[in-house]
Amino acid sequence: MLELRHVSKSYGDRRILDGVSLTVRRGEYVAIVGESGVGKSTLLNLIAGLDVPDSGELLLEATDLARLDEEARTRVRRSRMGFVFQAFHLLPHLSVARNVALPLALNGRAGAEADRRVHELLEAVGLADRADSLPRELSGGEMQRIAVARALAHRPAVVLADEPTGNLDPDNAATIRDVLRAQIKRDDAAGILVTHSATAAASTDRVYELTRAGLTLRS
Amino acid sequence: MRLALILLLALVLPLPMSAQVVYPPVRPDVELAFPQDEGAHPEYKLEWWYVTGWLVGADRARKPRGFQVTFFRVRTGIGEDNPSSFAPRQVLFAHAALADPDAGKLRHAQRSGRATFDLVYARQGRADVRLDDWSIRGLDDGRYGTVVRGEDFALELTLQATQPPLLQGDRGFSRKGPDPRAASHYYSLPQLRVSGTVEVGGQREAVSGDAWFDHEWSSDYVDERALGWDWIGINLHGGGALMAFGMRDSQGGERWAAATLRPSPARRATSPADTEEVKAFGQEDVAWTPLATWRSPRTGVEYPVRWRLRVGETTYRLEPLMRDAELDSRASTGVLYWEGPVRLLDDASGRELGRGYLELTGYGGKLDL
Amino acid sequence: MTATATVTMARRSTFRARQAVLDAAVVGPLRQAPGRTLLAVLAIALGVALGFSVYLINRVAADEVQGASRSLFGLADLAVRAPGAGFDEALFPRVAQVPGVAVASPIVELQVRLPGRERNLQLIGIDPFRAFRLQPALAEAGRGARREGQGLLAPNSLWLSPAAAQALDLEVGEDLDVQVALDRVTFEVAGILPPGAYRQPVGLLDIGEAQWRLRRLGRLDRIDLRLEPRADRAAVRAAIEELLPPGVQVVTPGEATDDAVRLTRAYRSNLTALALVALFTGAFLVFATQSLAVARRRREIALLHAMGMTVREQLGASLLAGTIVGVLGAALGVVLGALVARAGLAAFGADLGAGYFRGPASSQLDIGASEYLVFFLLGVAAALVATYGPAREAASVPAAAALKAGDEAPIAARRHGWTAAGFFVAGMVALALPPLEGVALPGYVSIACLLLGAVLLTPSLAAWIFTRVLRPEGAAWRQIAVAQLRGTARRATVSIAAVLVSFSLMVAMAIMVFSFRMSLEAWMERILPADLYVRAGSAAPGAYLDPAAQSTIETLGGVARVHFVRFVDVVLPGHRLPLTIIARPIEETTAERILPIRRSDPRPPPADTLPVWASEAALDLRGFDVGQVIELPLGGRVVRASVRGLWRDYERPGGAIVMDRARFIELTGDRNATTAALWLQGGVEPEAVGDVLRDALQRSGDYDVAQPGVIRQKSLALFDRTFAVTYLLEAVAVLIGLFGISASTSSQVLARRGEFGMLRHLGVTRSEIGRMLAFEGAALGAIGGAAGLGVGAVISLILIFVVNRQSFHWSMDVHVPWLGLAALSAILVVAAAGTAAFSGRRAMGDDVVRAVKEDW
Repeated sequence: MLELRHVSKSYGDRRILDGVSLTVRRGEYVAIVGESGVGKSTLLNLIAGLDVPDSGELLLEATDLARLDEEARTRVRRSRMGFVFQAFHLLPHLSVARNVALPLALNGRAGAEADRRVHELLEAVGLADRADSLPRELSGGEMQRIAVARALAHRPAVVLADEPTGNLDPDNAATIRDVLRAQIKRDDAAGILVTHSATAAASTDRVYELTRAGLTLRS
Repeated sequence: MRLALILLLALVLPLPMSAQVVYPPVRPDVELAFPQDEGAHPEYKLEWWYVTGWLVGADRARKPRGFQVTFFRVRTGIGEDNPSSFAPRQVLFAHAALADPDAGKLRHAQRSGRATFDLVYARQGRADVRLDDWSIRGLDDGRYGTVVRGEDFALELTLQATQPPLLQGDRGFSRKGPDPRAASHYYSLPQLRVSGTVEVGGQREAVSGDAWFDHEWSSDYVDERALGWDWIGINLHGGGALMAFGMRDSQGGERWAAATLRPSPARRATSPADTEEVKAFGQEDVAWTPLATWRSPRTGVEYPVRWRLRVGETTYRLEPLMRDAELDSRASTGVLYWEGPVRLLDDASGRELGRGYLELTGYGGKLDL
Repeated sequence: MTATATVTMARRSTFRARQAVLDAAVVGPLRQAPGRTLLAVLAIALGVALGFSVYLINRVAADEVQGASRSLFGLADLAVRAPGAGFDEALFPRVAQVPGVAVASPIVELQVRLPGRERNLQLIGIDPFRAFRLQPALAEAGRGARREGQGLLAPNSLWLSPAAAQALDLEVGEDLDVQVALDRVTFEVAGILPPGAYRQPVGLLDIGEAQWRLRRLGRLDRIDLRLEPRADRAAVRAAIEELLPPGVQVVTPGEATDDAVRLTRAYRSNLTALALVALFTGAFLVFATQSLAVARRRREIALLHAMGMTVREQLGASLLAGTIVGVLGAALGVVLGALVARAGLAAFGADLGAGYFRGPASSQLDIGASEYLVFFLLGVAAALVATYGPAREAASVPAAAALKAGDEAPIAARRHGWTAAGFFVAGMVALALPPLEGVALPGYVSIACLLLGAVLLTPSLAAWIFTRVLRPEGAAWRQIAVAQLRGTARRATVSIAAVLVSFSLMVAMAIMVFSFRMSLEAWMERILPADLYVRAGSAAPGAYLDPAAQSTIETLGGVARVHFVRFVDVVLPGHRLPLTIIARPIEETTAERILPIRRSDPRPPPADTLPVWASEAALDLRGFDVGQVIELPLGGRVVRASVRGLWRDYERPGGAIVMDRARFIELTGDRNATTAALWLQGGVEPEAVGDVLRDALQRSGDYDVAQPGVIRQKSLALFDRTFAVTYLLEAVAVLIGLFGISASTSSQVLARRGEFGMLRHLGVTRSEIGRMLAFEGAALGAIGGAAGLGVGAVISLILIFVVNRQSFHWSMDVHVPWLGLAALSAILVVAAAGTAAFSGRRAMGDDVVRAVKEDW
């Protein structure tokens, strides 16, 4: 379970986030929408442990990320979180399977069990037959499906997706929305989707809007 | 008598280094003997052989040309105990000039070298002096031969004596100044008949003429206070000979003068006053008076090229064959003087009495020493 | 930025448009990566500077040797000479009188040791009356007070050339001691010669004085001749040659000057070759940075393509960018080169401290505009050539594929196996060729072929290692690193090649220099077997042990045995460079023990021949092979000698012949010795004998009494000084190689920022990313280093067996500096890893996490 309590963050004189609170339980999939520049990326970086809040608590299953040092946060990120980026960010020289296996490898998991997991995920995103392809042989939608598979490979507690459909055509975007939701639900992860897209937001359980005033739940 | 060069050599050569060398002095009681005195006297400090004369070629329309060939020997006092064949104990110099009134200029050349091997030497005995391809020497038939080669001219001449040697001064003891130690052994061979060739610009020409040959040696020649001098050696028509010199001091005044006259045989026979064959004249009997000067366009030096000369009772006039007979080799040998053919005239009548050479030195001021 | 620029281009006037294109395709890329552009500029600058400065120093050296040699002869048309022993002076009048000879100037020439000054001076005894006709500047000296240099006749006097006066710090009126045999002779400095007469440091004195005081009575060393203007030169020369005894020859000043220049040519051409290597590596670095730039700018180029830039325009734009780099680098290079040359000349002199040209004290450096221009253009050309390949590649980027997200440079690098094989074959062929005019050019060509072949083979090598040797196993960062190397084989190849080129040259030089040093040490051990050595002078024929000194040494207490050795130069008919005769006690039976013999003749020598042993240089230069009967001019006669053996000599590149001293004395009458080797009785201390010897000799000159260890030490110190420049050039080459790795890594790191950002999101720590980059760098360094070791080893063999043999005519045994090479390799790998990690750090600031947002 992920819980933010009164999290604030400033860069210099600029206050980006002011007392933001948010709770996402396992199996829940929520969206955060908001205009450009309101601090969506900052919020995401804080949740990911890439940055620390000035005040407030950032609890991941009773661990306050804000109290951990950089090294510990990195370890938490490695084992407990998964990411999907707008620009896919597959490693160009690794095969599809190896890209998906990357989080497993990072967590020291290899061998038959890992291979099974990779295969299972590729099946789930419908690209099992492309396991040995290189990313550039795939279309954009396919690459993002691989990215989704990679984000979930190590069964993270939290999956963060930052505009995952931003670079995609509507058909592929729809596929990714479905796959992402399905996988989060299936692995019982806490999913957070950051997006501009109302359509994308609609695929989640709850939608929060981030404004200068704070984070508010949209009914 | 080539005083200009000798003075320079004496000053330039590092002679003071040779303090340990003892040069024999020139003494009045020495009797000259021939032919052995024709050759070198290497123990003396200085010695020279020189020939001046007039030459005519086949082309009678051309003016006669003057020539001079001079060889000097210097005992340097250097390396007297050096066993090397190259030890510079004896050094030779030679000058030659051809005065061409048609060309209006002097061609001249020079050589120098230390006595080494058979290339450069001044032998004792008969005259035999050589500087590479230049030479002057007594030939087997009693004549003398001289060969010189310059950049732009060459002379190959033989000289036939017609008279016995003319002993200068007191039987060959010739004083050069008030100090009796300044003196030389000095004799001349006047009235030499010349034949041979002159080569100018690759053109050889047979020539003949008359010449005057001096030979002089000394150890202590130079009078320090002498600034320059004037000299003539004249072959008189009819077979006589006249030598005269005057030494000038720094004020330009006459410091010493002397002359020797050998009358022509015709006169000797007719005039009872001339029974004594050779007359030597002392200082009071010789007077040099300049008549006209010529200024060198190259050096700006003014030379008295026409003279009135009184020797005893007789007054002569000296008329140069060409005015520009300046010899400027200061760049290489440091010498600047005037040396050219002259005619000796009777001052009153203007009649030509003889032909010879005039030498004028010390007119370039202090000779850039 | 590019997109904006290109869009505006469409609307503006053509001129503005062109400017915009220029900005987008040429200036932009250069400005976009100022560090890399600067690196490329510096690489060219460094190469040009090195080449230019070495060229300038060489030119000054050659000019000085030439000018000095020429100034010795003045206006002479011919010179009769006999290096070493000289000839009987009776020859002089005979030569002087040969028809057609206008001036003959006899000369006594002697290198004398200056006691207490640790240096030699060339003394020239002249007859000023004759010499001034060949050296008008001497007459110039006589202007004013002196006439025709007659003052030169003064006894006990020396006239110094300006160079000598400066080098010896002497003024007129001061005394100068020179050494003759073992005695001091004092001269007064009577004057300084005008600058025009002699350019090198010489002392001038009268020939009579020289013969006497320098103990050369009856001998001459040279006769300079001027011929009549209309003389038939060939006929006069032939007529003179008729008169000459064996060992005396006629040369023109031009020939003598050529000889003087040739003596140092091997050294100078080797320096030039090293400088060219620097320019080559500089060009290679430009190639590397340009290739990487193309790889990095792939999409940018594709975009320009897609917007309508033609292939030709793209090629032009890339070449223009290369030209800009070349112009900047070359301009900087020539300026830098001129400065370095000036500083080098000022600090070390024209021989860069190698001791080759003992002569001129001050080295003037005037650089012509054309010289600047040539090296400037050379630099620009190098940059253009290096840019051309990458430029073509850039022009042919397939727009559609490149624009697609996730696209990268083609995985496989192009293979050039056959071309590489062609170069290897060409290199082998070059090895079989003889040297060109004494310069080991084919050897260098062979090395160049080998290097090019190796560079072309790098893609295949890299591909093999990436697929067969390196496996994507272990920690995730390692897997990513291996995948990265495999995926960017082309870039990796360029880095590997850069390391290979520079490291192989370093390895080659290291092995060659080490082999040389070890061989030299072993050789000295061999040729210095005695307990104590007495040497009259170093390379100064004026200093020697006369018979009196020899008998003193022989009868010294504690001395068991003495060998006296005489070194004398002779010239052989048909050769102008002198050959050294080494006369020492030696017999057929003892030769093996005395000399480092390489080969010898088991058969008995032919009757009536003199047994001699030839050095390798004598074999190479004169063809004196074992068993052969040769003719040696000795003591004015021709002696038939039989070559009994071949020995190694590191001292005399002109060749040497060893013969028995008793026979030498018989033939030449020369009883003097240059050195004495003393074997002491058991228990006698060499130091003590040295002191006793000095007391017993009671001679005023300088002479060395040294134990072999000291001599070896000094020689090795000299050796190290000679190679100091070489070490410097090597270091520069390796620095350029490391520049290559740095350029490659930093460009990739920039391109991979998105990847690093993603990895950081995935929980990869900074240090893991650093390790990943270090691993990649280390792998590149290790592969390049390993290949460099192999290629370098082969090059070192070429240097040892071909280049050195042909340049200096000596052989050496191969000794590999294992420890040094291991250390160098380790340093290389660590430096490569460090360079890569360091460039990574720079690109991994906090904002790297934000790089995931960047599209490309």
